[in-house]
Amino acid sequence: MNNPNASPKAVPTILLVESHSIEQENFAHIAVQEGWQLVICNSGIDAIHWFNKNNKADVLVIEESSAPLNGYQTADYIKTELGLKLPVLITVGTVPTPQELRVIAFAEGVITKPFIKSTCILQINEILERFPERPPAQNNSYSLNYLRDIFDGHEESVLESLELFSTSVNTELEQLDVELQDRDYKRIREIAHSIKPSFEMLENETGKSICHLLNSEAEETEMPRLIHDLQLEFASITKQLTRDFPELKIG
Amino acid sequence: MMKKILVVEDNPMVIKSLEFKLTKDGHEVLIAKDGREAMKFLKEVNFDLILTDLMLPFVTGKELISYIKKNSPKTPIIVLSTSTQENIIMDAFNMGVDDFITKPFSPNELSLRVKRFLSKA
Repeated sequence: MNNPNASPKAVPTILLVESHSIEQENFAHIAVQEGWQLVICNSGIDAIHWFNKNNKADVLVIEESSAPLNGYQTADYIKTELGLKLPVLITVGTVPTPQELRVIAFAEGVITKPFIKSTCILQINEILERFPERPPAQNNSYSLNYLRDIFDGHEESVLESLELFSTSVNTELEQLDVELQDRDYKRIREIAHSIKPSFEMLENETGKSICHLLNSEAEETEMPRLIHDLQLEFASITKQLTRDFPELKIG
Repeated sequence: MMKKILVVEDNPMVIKSLEFKLTKDGHEVLIAKDGREAMKFLKEVNFDLILTDLMLPFVTGKELISYIKKNSPKTPIIVLSTSTQENIIMDAFNMGVDDFITKPFSPNELSLRVKRFLSKA
């Protein structure tokens, strides 16, 4: 374990788990240029030990193929067992290992290796900006933090957006069924691309992850199951919204 | 005089949030929900800035950017992208777009970027 940067504590701390020295070096260059404090661990176990010493990071960037615990398993452990809420980005090669949806939900995003400066900066800055607005623990279906921020606390616009979410996503999910029957997989990817921001605006990570998969690496054979899971997640969100806002036209 | 901004986007929640924020910042905002509508607007109105998605119904983002660059080359274009579109974004930059912003966007970041381009217009 080493710490190649000596940045002030006020800057974000990125914990990188990476076993290849060239990629460590690539990432360290990016971190130096961006002014991030970087801590590098060689394995997920190292990272867990580091957190166990009460060290804190703002983002964990961990390789999918870390051993003995892979990236997703490490993320699961850190979030479930250690109770830490930091966002996790999984680094993958050109062909990521297929994972179950339940497992994918442990990470907030994926970065492809070799590390590309613009992509890394974009994804990490985006997650740093959004992380303080994670959904509260008592409501795991959605959060209104982002909507309240974008609408400057204008509650009427927030509520109108919730109705828009319900009607517009419902229509697109019905269309996904039609496209699935027609085997129009290109259109399915386009619809997933279109509705992904709707889930992101409600800070629903599951919906976002499924849309991401449908729009990117999902095989055609996986699409029926992913669409079904997305519909279940949407139903769960609208159920919660109906409970929380009975006055709205939702569901 | 209010600056005119064309937003080309098909997600209704993103449209609503962009419209709210840009109008609040004092701009005139016109919305096109697909590339065809955007082309129609572009034939009738001179815009100070265009914010556009790249995956659009009917007319692709590439076709739209190509049209803008041919007919209104001085109008700055900001691409509304998602984090999964690195290659598409690079293609767009190669076609001459000026900037990109990731959806869902940060309100302050949007304001600053828009302000930056409009101050040059």
